[in-house]
This record gives sequence, structure tokens and C-alpha cells, in this order.
Amino acid sequence: MGNFDGILSGLQLALSIEGILFVLLGVMAGTFIGMMPGLGPISAIAIMIPLTYSMDPTIALVLMAGVYYGAVFGGSTSSILLNAPGIAGTVATSFDGYPMAQKGQAGKALAIAAIASFTGGTVSVVLLMLFAPLLSSVAIVFGPPEYFALMILGLTAISSLSDGSTVKALIAAVVGIMAVTIGIDSQTGTARFTFNNPNLLEGIDFLVVALGLFALAEICNLIINRKDKIKGNENIGSLKLSKSDYKEMAGPMTRQSFLGFILGVLPGAGATIASFIGYITEKKIAKNPEEWGKGAVKGIAAPETANNAATSGAFVPLLSLGIPGSGTTAVLLGALLVLDVQPGPLLITDRPELFWGVIISMYVGNIFLLVLNLPLIPYIAKVLAIPRPLLISLVIMFSMIGVYSISFNTFDLYMLLAFGVLGYFMRLFSFPAAPLILAFILGGMMENSFRQSMTIANNDLSIFFTRPIAVSLLGVALLAFVVPLWQAVRSRRKSKMSS
Amino acid sequence: MLKAPHRKVSLVLMAIAAFYLYLAFQLPSFMNSIIDSDTLPKVLGVLLIVLSLILFFMPDNETPEQKEKRNIPKSDAFMLIGTFLLILVYIFFLEILGFILVSMLFIFICSLFLGYKKHVTNAIVAVLFPVSLYLIFTQLLGISLPSGILPI
Amino acid sequence: MKYIKLAAFGLISAVTLSACGSGSEESSGEGGGDWEPEQSIEMVAPSGAGGGWDTTARMAAEGFETEGILDEGMGVVNKEGGGGSVGWSYIQGKSGNPHHLFVASPPLLLIPLNGQSDVGYEDFTPLANMISDYGAFAVRDDAEWEDLNELFEDMKDDPEGITVIGESSPGSMDHMQFVKIAAAAGVDPKSVKYVSAQDGSTMTNLLNGNADVYSTGVTETIEQVRAGEIRVLGITAEERMSGDVIEDFPTAVEQGIDATFVNWRGFFGPPDMTEAQVAFYEEKFQELNDSEFWADTREKYGWEEAYMNSEEYSDFLEEESASMQELLDDVGLYNQE
Repeated sequence: MGNFDGILSGLQLALSIEGILFVLLGVMAGTFIGMMPGLGPISAIAIMIPLTYSMDPTIALVLMAGVYYGAVFGGSTSSILLNAPGIAGTVATSFDGYPMAQKGQAGKALAIAAIASFTGGTVSVVLLMLFAPLLSSVAIVFGPPEYFALMILGLTAISSLSDGSTVKALIAAVVGIMAVTIGIDSQTGTARFTFNNPNLLEGIDFLVVALGLFALAEICNLIINRKDKIKGNENIGSLKLSKSDYKEMAGPMTRQSFLGFILGVLPGAGATIASFIGYITEKKIAKNPEEWGKGAVKGIAAPETANNAATSGAFVPLLSLGIPGSGTTAVLLGALLVLDVQPGPLLITDRPELFWGVIISMYVGNIFLLVLNLPLIPYIAKVLAIPRPLLISLVIMFSMIGVYSISFNTFDLYMLLAFGVLGYFMRLFSFPAAPLILAFILGGMMENSFRQSMTIANNDLSIFFTRPIAVSLLGVALLAFVVPLWQAVRSRRKSKMSS
Repeated sequence: MLKAPHRKVSLVLMAIAAFYLYLAFQLPSFMNSIIDSDTLPKVLGVLLIVLSLILFFMPDNETPEQKEKRNIPKSDAFMLIGTFLLILVYIFFLEILGFILVSMLFIFICSLFLGYKKHVTNAIVAVLFPVSLYLIFTQLLGISLPSGILPI
Repeated sequence: MKYIKLAAFGLISAVTLSACGSGSEESSGEGGGDWEPEQSIEMVAPSGAGGGWDTTARMAAEGFETEGILDEGMGVVNKEGGGGSVGWSYIQGKSGNPHHLFVASPPLLLIPLNGQSDVGYEDFTPLANMISDYGAFAVRDDAEWEDLNELFEDMKDDPEGITVIGESSPGSMDHMQFVKIAAAAGVDPKSVKYVSAQDGSTMTNLLNGNADVYSTGVTETIEQVRAGEIRVLGITAEERMSGDVIEDFPTAVEQGIDATFVNWRGFFGPPDMTEAQVAFYEEKFQELNDSEFWADTREKYGWEEAYMNSEEYSDFLEEESASMQELLDDVGLYNQE
């Protein structure tokens, strides 16, 4: 009964003129900031904080939440159009989004991303409403051993991210983990591979690697092919999706709404890992995995659904436990403290109107995002009509400023350039970049959670095999590793027999 | 025998792995943990050597299409290196001359260098983009970019 | 700390009055300094957006503006990296240019002592300390320990059985504040089993039993204490703090453990500042400290007032640094380079 009253008062707040106005403002600002190079949800929220000082806490949270999922929503644009992922959560979107846009279907790619984002966002809000209190206990059972198992599961995807040689994919992954070992080791405080350079102590920023390997390496390609299209690509294709497109998207969107949401709930996992795992799981079960990476509809729908679903998921531990599960929600938590709101187990009883008001505003916000963004797609996609030489200069400048606005340090720009060169050479010698970035994202967490587990268990490895969740995740990882191997052996035998 | 490109790559990778391993063995150890900060790096170094060896002895299975990618005409290579140098200059002068000025010059010169002949459009874009981006970042988003020598 | 507060309270009206009274053309006249900034001041937060340093820097900049204390503007810039050392080397490079300040706290002492930074507090000009914060040690509500002494007794018997978790890396704040109190209670500093979790999972790991003790700031514990999930066994303050919930947290001192740990926060300038420049900033920070805006800010974030002028600050830092060095040496993390 209490819950029902709470939902009602939340409804009232979310649907008040003020509530609607600020969720609109939030999602618009969020989309815009998300499209900016290098600016992701964290900076988007940080930018909004001063605005909220004198606001009603619920409205302030409605605004900041809107900025948050708006930024995730908008982040896919540069991945698709320019192969320049502005935030970590949209790297996987570029795998198929960019190729599709290059085929002259930029409009379609953006439309798929928008619809998938909307679905992921909306379904996950339903889940958030139904299961927030229940799921908070799930968020808590995940400790270092479970995270280690999850990271291992994620890493088994490396082979499925390669388009050819598995050895090359593995090499790329090892180099990715090597890159993440640079910097201060969090468990001992030892500086590793820093060459006494203070700029390397914090490690290499994700964006440096992503923009280097993807955007700058792609620039090199564009430079070589600049003569083909010195006038640019006028054709953005139709926005309209066919019935079969929708049919194709339905499966991944349903599955990834749930999976992404659950991964978002886990503290520390978040949108990035959700989008990768979303991409990989869908590729594994797809009938036509060979078309992935060349502009597959599902390849855009899966990660975009997952990262938006994860964003709502991240609100579960924040609102129901007061535990920030990611950097973004930590900033959000800080902003709430200033407003005298203490998220935690008591929030839902102390401030039901705030708890439910924010959740309900998320429905409204997601609808706004879809309605506002779809008509804008043709204009945004016009970016591709810019003549190649000009586009190249602009993308370079955008990438530079994206990285610079994170660290305000030109050293990172030189690193960006170095990763661009590395990315280009990897292309020349047919080494896939996706495993490198995946390993870079998962590797650090894998090492950390392994060593944390070892310290907790006093160096007893059995900690991984006595916990049900950890052991089942490791089991799935083993299957994910063995099954394709077995299939490969079997198909080779078959082809031998037939020849 | 060394002519196959994947063998050359494999040798380069082994050199990197050896250097990385050398550094890993220099890492100080911290007394009360068995899995120390140098454990993973050592594993990675060895792993990379093993993988490079496999790569070395593998048959060359690149498609002709993949090989063709490495055939870069001299003029294109010149363009790549030129753009690379322009970026270096851009980074070097970013904090000295300021974002607006250096970006204007970069966009105009880089586009020109890559063969863009509409000088007026080029100049307009080169002025408009950096200025509006600067205003958005500093005024709207509260993120300060280097103002440099311009009296802003 | 209490008496400083009282004294400051008395001063507020006087100073704000004089601040309003002095016109802009001679605002530096009476303070004894004959230096004034010639350009806008850059305030560096050596961390990313949203953390403690960033918040302090931004609130200070806002305070200077809303209270009209500085004629020239103040802009906050984030220089993230190396636990602060990137920002520190940046300011060190501004030697002699007093328009670049930064905000600091105990890591400025700890990180150089760990050998992770070549520059330390003695390379800078301390201007003023503003606030202090304290550490808290929390356990699950159903934990077997009723107070710090019981915990430390168990730790002496079986150090391997008790996992302490904190946000910062070993040798930095969360670790050292625990070690300092534990060592004073007779626990071998080297035997403390400390796990660092920098991904925001510290509280989760306390609640789900992967860790037994959570070493953190006082404010971080309040909500879970209110919800009855955790208990705070002790805080590192000299005497009890005021405020709802917080006032019930026992100090280590009252449990017979003679040790405290202050998470101070203040402002520094580059090396080689003149006396007049230091005096100028000292006065401005004092003014900020006494302002209503800053009082509200302190209350909002649960900070305690702890103003120190440049000289007091230097003495304090010297003492703190020596005691930290000793402690790090005991843990085996002191790194002379």
C-alpha cells in the first residue's frame, strides 16, 4: 500500500510541468553532450551539478538522470558516423554501425541505434520498477571472485571478435592487457612501466586507446581513399526500417534489455561491459556471424540496447543501497549529497516521491529521446556529406579536443597519435583491434579482482570453486571456450571426409 | 624465410615482449602477497613470446586482398606522413598558441594539404568550427580550453 | 578545534563588514600586503571531476565569487593523474608565478613518501588550511566486535583472518589511517591485511562479507549506519563530532587508543612566492573561511572547520610528514629515492 502511494506521488511529480520540462532539458543536454567528442555521462553530470544547487532534489535528480541516459543515447552518433567512439559504452556500436554508414545507410544505422536505445532504456525502467528492491541483493553478492569469473567469461569473446586468425586476435588481446598494466598498480602502489614519467602514473585513458585505434586508424584509411569521394558521401540512405529489420532486431533487443540491465546492476560492470557482452552473445547465437562487422542490423541493436539498459540498471544499487556502482553514479551520488538526499536502503521509505518520481521520469525521458532524435537523424547524418579532406581535418581536431578535455594534458595527445599509428599498422597486418580494446577494458579489472580474491582468501585458489556464482560463470566461460573448438574440429573432419 | 611479413611482425613482437619482460623483472616486490604486481606482467610477457612463435611458424594465410592493403603508393604514404607531422605540430602548439588559433590553422592547412581546393569554404569552416566549439566548451559546458595568445 | 570555531564566529561579522566596506580600488591596502593578482587565478584540482579535491576547489572558487572576496576571477582546472602528482608537477613548473594555486590533503604527504611522486609538500608554498575530515572504521552490524579494542585483539591473534578494505591504494589514506590507529593499539602494522578497491565496490564488499572492516571517511558511513546495516567501531577524530548519527560514533581516543588521523584540506601555491603574495592569499582565505557561504558549505558536506595560516600550516605539515614517514616505514612502504 505504501508503495502504491509512493508511486502515485512520484507520478504526480514526474508528470508535473516542472518535471516534464526538466526531463526534457536533461535529455536534450545529455544527447548534445554525449555527441561531443570525449564528453561522456560523467562530464555531462558534473557540468550539470552547479545548476542543481538550488533545485528541488527530485527535480534535480530527474534532470541529472536525464542527462545521464541522454548522454549514453547520444554517444553512439560519433561511433556510427565517424568510427570515433566518444565514450567507452559505444565502442561495440562502431563495429557494425560504422560499416553500415559507409555502405550509404547512415540513416538506417542511426535509426536502429535510436530504437534499440529506446527499447533498452524503457524495458529496463520497467525492470527497475519491479525489481529494484529485490535486485539490490544481487548487486551485493558479487565480490572479487565473482568479478574475476565474469571478466574471464568476457575475455573468452576474444576469438569471436577476430575475423580470421585467432592467434592474431590473441596477440592483440595480450597487448591490450599489457597496455593496461602501465601505471600505478592499485594493489601495491608500485609504478609499473611508467619510465618515471608522471603522465603515465594514472595509466592510459580508455579514450586515448579507443580514439587512436578506431578513429585515427580510420583516418589513415580515409586519407588513402580520399580521391574516391573528394566530394563526400551525399547519400545517407533511408531512415525507414523494413519489417524484416524489425524482426531481426526483436530478438537481440529483448534479450539484451534483460542482460544489459543485470550487468548494469552489478557495481563496477556498467554500460561498457554490457555493450561488449551484448554484442558478443548475440554474435555467438546469430545465424550469420560472418556478416557481423560488416554492417549487421543486430550488431548495432545488441550493444545499443545493452548499454542503455545497463544505465537504468546502475540506478538499482545507487537508489536502493546508496552504493555507486560506477564512476558516473559516484558523481551522481556526490551531487545528491549536496542536495541533502542520502540514497540508501531507507530512501524508498523516507522519500518515496523522489524514488518513484525519478523512475517514472525515465519513461518520459526515453520517449522524448526517441521522438526528438528520429527527426534529427537526417541532419546529423549530413556530417558524412562533408568533403573528405575537410572531414578528415575536423575529425582529427575533434579527437584531439575530446582527449584533451579529459586530462588537459598534451602528453595524452601524443599517446593518442601513437595509438593511431599502432591501429593503422594493425590494420595493415590484419590484426583485429576489437580484442585489444576488449582486453584493455576487462584486463585491469580481471587482474585486480584476482589479486583481491587472493588476498581475501590468503592465497587459496579454492575461493573460485567454492562459490556458486563464481564457479558457474567459470563453467560458462569454459563452455564458451571449448564448444567452438569442438565445432571447429568437427567441421574440419567433415570437410576432410567429403574431400 | 624472413620475407613473409608475418614473420617480421612476429620478430618485432618478440622484441617488444622481451623488453616488457625485462622491465617486469625490474619491478620491486611487495612482501606480503604471493600474487605481486609483477606476476601478471611476467605471464603476459611469456604469453606474447609463445604467441609470436606460433605466428612465426604458422603458414601465411592472408588473403590477397589483405596483402594488397600494404601496397601503399608513394603519394599516399607522403600524405599519411604529412598529416602525421601536421598533427604533431598541432599538439605542440596547442597550449602555446591556444585552441582557437591552432585549430584554425590546422583545419585550413590540413584540408588544403589533402587536396581541398575551395579556399573560401575552407576558410569559413576553419574559422567557424573552432570558435563555436570553443564557445560551447568554455561558456556552455564550463570546460576551459587553452586560450593561448588571443586576448579572450 | 572547537575554540577556533568560536573565535571565527566572533570574527565573521567584523570581517564581512570590513570586506563590504573596503572599496575595490584599495582592497589590499589594510592587510599589510602590497601585492595583488594581475590576472585571473587558476585553481588546480589534481584529480578528476567529482572527488574531494575537486569539490573543495570548486566550492572555494564559488565562495570567492559569491562573497566578492577576489577582484580577479578564479577558474578551476582539473589536472588528473598519478594520485595528484601530475597536478603537482604542473604547479611546480609555475615556480614564481603566484596565479596558480592547488588544493591538497594528506596524499600530498603520503604519495611522495611512497616514492610515487618526485615533488612533495616542501616544494610548495602552503597558504592556508581550511577544513578537516576524519576517518571511520566500520563493520557489518552482525560482526562479533563491539569496539576497536576487541577488533584489534583478534587482529593480534589472527591477522590473516581479518580483511580491511579501503578505496585508496596501499600506503595512501584509507590504509594509513587504519594502520596508524591499529599500531597505537599494539597491532603489528605489517600484518594488517589490506585490500584496495578503487571501483566503488568497497561498501558492497563489506556488506557481502568479502571484507570485515571498511576504512573510509565518516560521511560515507552515515546512511548504512542509519539503515542498521553497519556499525562504526571508531573514528579518528580527537573528540566526538557533532551532527545527527555522527555524534554516536566513538573516537579511538575515548577507547583508550591514543592516536588520531586528520584528513586536512587546504590550499598551496607554487614554489618561491614572496611574503606579500602569501599574505594576500592568507587574508583572502581567512575571509572565505569566515564567510557565511563557507559555513554553509562546511555544513553541507559535513566538514569541520580547521583554519590555519601559512606559518601554522607549515609547522603542522612538517609534523604530519614526519609521523607519516615513520608509519610508512613500519609498514614497509616508505620509499627513499
